[in-house]
Amino acid sequence: MRAMYLANYFVAGCIAFSLLGWVASLHPIAFRAIAFLAAASFICWGLCWLLDFSVSGWLKISVQNLQAVLLAVLAMAIVGAGVFLCS
Amino acid sequence: MQLKMWVLSGAALILWLAPLAGLDKSIRFHKWTQGLSLCAAIGCAIGAGNIARELSEQGEIEEIKTRAITADVVDEIATSAYISQQQRQQEAEQILATDERIDEQEAELNSIKESLELLLNQTSSDSGSLAVVNLSTRQREQIELILQCHAKGIRGKNKILKEVWGVSAGSSQAYRNAKAEYEYLMPFIKEEEEGG
Repeated sequence: MRAMYLANYFVAGCIAFSLLGWVASLHPIAFRAIAFLAAASFICWGLCWLLDFSVSGWLKISVQNLQAVLLAVLAMAIVGAGVFLCS
Repeated sequence: MQLKMWVLSGAALILWLAPLAGLDKSIRFHKWTQGLSLCAAIGCAIGAGNIARELSEQGEIEEIKTRAITADVVDEIATSAYISQQQRQQEAEQILATDERIDEQEAELNSIKESLELLLNQTSSDSGSLAVVNLSTRQREQIELILQCHAKGIRGKNKILKEVWGVSAGSSQAYRNAKAEYEYLMPFIKEEEEGG
């Protein structure tokens, strides 16, 4: 059951990224806003990946958990955006 | 609950993939339908995730309860086994103690019996002829042995007791019995010596 709830949250994340893609497709300004948001998020993601020990101490979680969350977010983004772009 | 979770999970996947794959982005109505279905899909997925998390927590609690009940049962069985073992041990100790008491009582009874026999013989020794009649074969043999000792020159009481009864001087019951018997036999020995 634990795997089921993790899978559901993962799917929710994927759908959220698809929704962001859909929002980006509404208007060029929305596209720019989403692109800026994606770039900023990607920079944050990279910093978190590089400074994993500091961030894990700040968030009070283990480094393994932080890395798992970061990889899951990356996978969500790839799957969500991929599904939206391929449809 | 589980059915609801599965339905919501399936709905989330369908609402996510079907509109994106099936509807045309260039048509305005389809586009907005896609957006709405994506929002609904997110809602379904989060709802299914929440239900699954709740079920998972309930499962963990049930598991903890089962472990606690099992531990209680194991503890109870161990306690009852320990108590029954103690009971058996106590019963065994009581039986052993009873056996020891019975042995002691038998020894005491034998001692009393011998003392009573001696007393009976001593009481009836007032009339000389009766006393001789009352002497047992063993006592007569003992008189003979004592007389033989006297003939050999052994005179001390302790030496005679050692020779005839085989007991050494001390505070043992056997020595006391032998001494009482010897003292009882003394008049007869004197009579025998004077007569013989």
